[in-house]
Amino acid sequence: MKKTLLLIFIFTAHYCFAQQQFQLATPLLKYRSMFFADTTSFTINFNQPGTTVHYTLNGEEPTEKDPLYKKRITIAKRTIVKAKAFSNNFSASETVTAEFIKDGKKIKQVSFSKPNEAYSTTNTEILNDNIGGNMNLKSGTWLGYNNDTVEINIELAKKQNMHAVLVNILQDEGSWIFLPAQIQVNSYDEKLKAFIPTGTAVFLSDSVSPKQCKAVEIEFSKKVNTAKLQLLIQPLKKIPGWHAAKGNHAWLFIDEIKVY
Amino acid sequence: MNRRTFIKNTSLAAGAVYAPAMLHGLSSDEIILGHNNKRYKIDTQWSKINAAQYPVKDCHEMVQDKLGRIILLTNETKNNVIIYDKSGKLINTWGTEYPGAHGLTLFNENGADVLFICDNNRHQVIKTTIDGRVLLTLNYPKETGQYTKAEEYIPTETIIAPNGDIYVADGYGKDFIIQYDAQGNYIRHFGGRGDGDRFLLNAHGICIDNRDKNKPCLITTSRMQNAFKRFTMEGIYIDTIPLPGAWVCRPVIKGDYLYAAVLQTNARQWDKSGFVIVLDKNYKVVSNIGGNLPAYNNNIPEEMYQTIKVFQYPHDVCVDDEENLYIAQWNSGQAYPYKLMPV
Repeated sequence: MKKTLLLIFIFTAHYCFAQQQFQLATPLLKYRSMFFADTTSFTINFNQPGTTVHYTLNGEEPTEKDPLYKKRITIAKRTIVKAKAFSNNFSASETVTAEFIKDGKKIKQVSFSKPNEAYSTTNTEILNDNIGGNMNLKSGTWLGYNNDTVEINIELAKKQNMHAVLVNILQDEGSWIFLPAQIQVNSYDEKLKAFIPTGTAVFLSDSVSPKQCKAVEIEFSKKVNTAKLQLLIQPLKKIPGWHAAKGNHAWLFIDEIKVY
Repeated sequence: MNRRTFIKNTSLAAGAVYAPAMLHGLSSDEIILGHNNKRYKIDTQWSKINAAQYPVKDCHEMVQDKLGRIILLTNETKNNVIIYDKSGKLINTWGTEYPGAHGLTLFNENGADVLFICDNNRHQVIKTTIDGRVLLTLNYPKETGQYTKAEEYIPTETIIAPNGDIYVADGYGKDFIIQYDAQGNYIRHFGGRGDGDRFLLNAHGICIDNRDKNKPCLITTSRMQNAFKRFTMEGIYIDTIPLPGAWVCRPVIKGDYLYAAVLQTNARQWDKSGFVIVLDKNYKVVSNIGGNLPAYNNNIPEEMYQTIKVFQYPHDVCVDDEENLYIAQWNSGQAYPYKLMPV
């Protein structure tokens, strides 16, 4: 018993007083796009002898008991992938996370108000081309806005029931890119010949967020039967007080839209 | 509003989750970093100087002088130049007039060591004695016809040829390499930005590769292109050494090897993702200290990335007479240099 206590003490002392330990870097999750039609696949790059990468496909935090990554993985449904590197010599890495999002209702076309020239496009299908989810704001997959009220009109292939819309938004606060203040969803009512409010999402940017893509899904207040949706997005008018650029107009970056 | 609203926010993509690290693993004095015959133990506490008395901001570059001393350049104007012995003890400091101190190059001029400092803020290159007396100042290179004011010129590095010619890399300005004679008279310029192999993007560093005594050449950094580019001593483009993913700083040649700090990687930009790279005589990666050793396909290395968080933003490598490395870091919490000892 005494011996055990002594060992515990030595163990603790060693790790408390050691000069410094190093952490493994986060493994690289490589994929073409986080959006897909039928199936998609990803690889994990992490070539460091003496380490293993374990992953989950259910959103849970990976442990060393989870599957060992060996080769490219194919998925066919909406999936949250998490991966983490482990080693006896270094502390475990942070977790890398990606969500892969499958097509919803068939979209015929998406029109959008004019983005800032620096982050504009001639690709009229940029919001429904299944390409997106990288965090490089100059990759050409993003639309960037720094003005108020961004209007997006979505036309589906046919009139049908739907219950939610998904918008992929970049959060990169270091580059003044924030979640919007609000997204208002309207659906076209043929009887009234007008758009009627169908759902709203409000966002608070009151604390620091990591640089990430955020797939925001807005559930409608009730199912609607329509062929046309309208999104009215209000970018954040003033960057909040905790940020170095407080008071300035924030940017909004979006790269993909889905309807369910 | 009486409508019920559901919002599902899903966090996505890389690096989003910061789970606390498990406390296990070897301490830094037990681990061995790097690959092949370029493997090292690390001492992160090498610098023995008092941070309150001798502060640093960015530790930009380091060189070793003929007395064996290790000289550090920082943009902290309380002591722009800090001179250490190899054990990390302070010998001396000098310099209060280099707010943009960035590039530090040592040249043995007829037996005497002289230093060349590139100052980003002053838009100048300053040649000094080893103890800081100014010998020559190079202003922005009007003679090139490429500059209309000093602010356009932000020199980051120099290298001095055996005949005394000075090559300045304008790595944060217009990416030209400007060649002067030893007295500072303009000879020519090359590089600059454009479409084509002979142009540069973020010409952050430059050195002379004289490992082949018959064919010395210049190696310049094109950092945002993740590459080194070779030129003749007269500025004719030779070829490109692609280093995918790696934001290489200045090349440093010692013996048969080329060393460089990799500020960060493409995979994780502005996220403390740096490491240190070592290339052999054929410009092939033989070791990445804190990074992956890339496989080669058609003579091009696969993408490189950080694997161990040893460094944050390494900015320069100094190799001493005993093959130890000293790593200076930019924007890394006022960290003093680390020392790496070969094993």
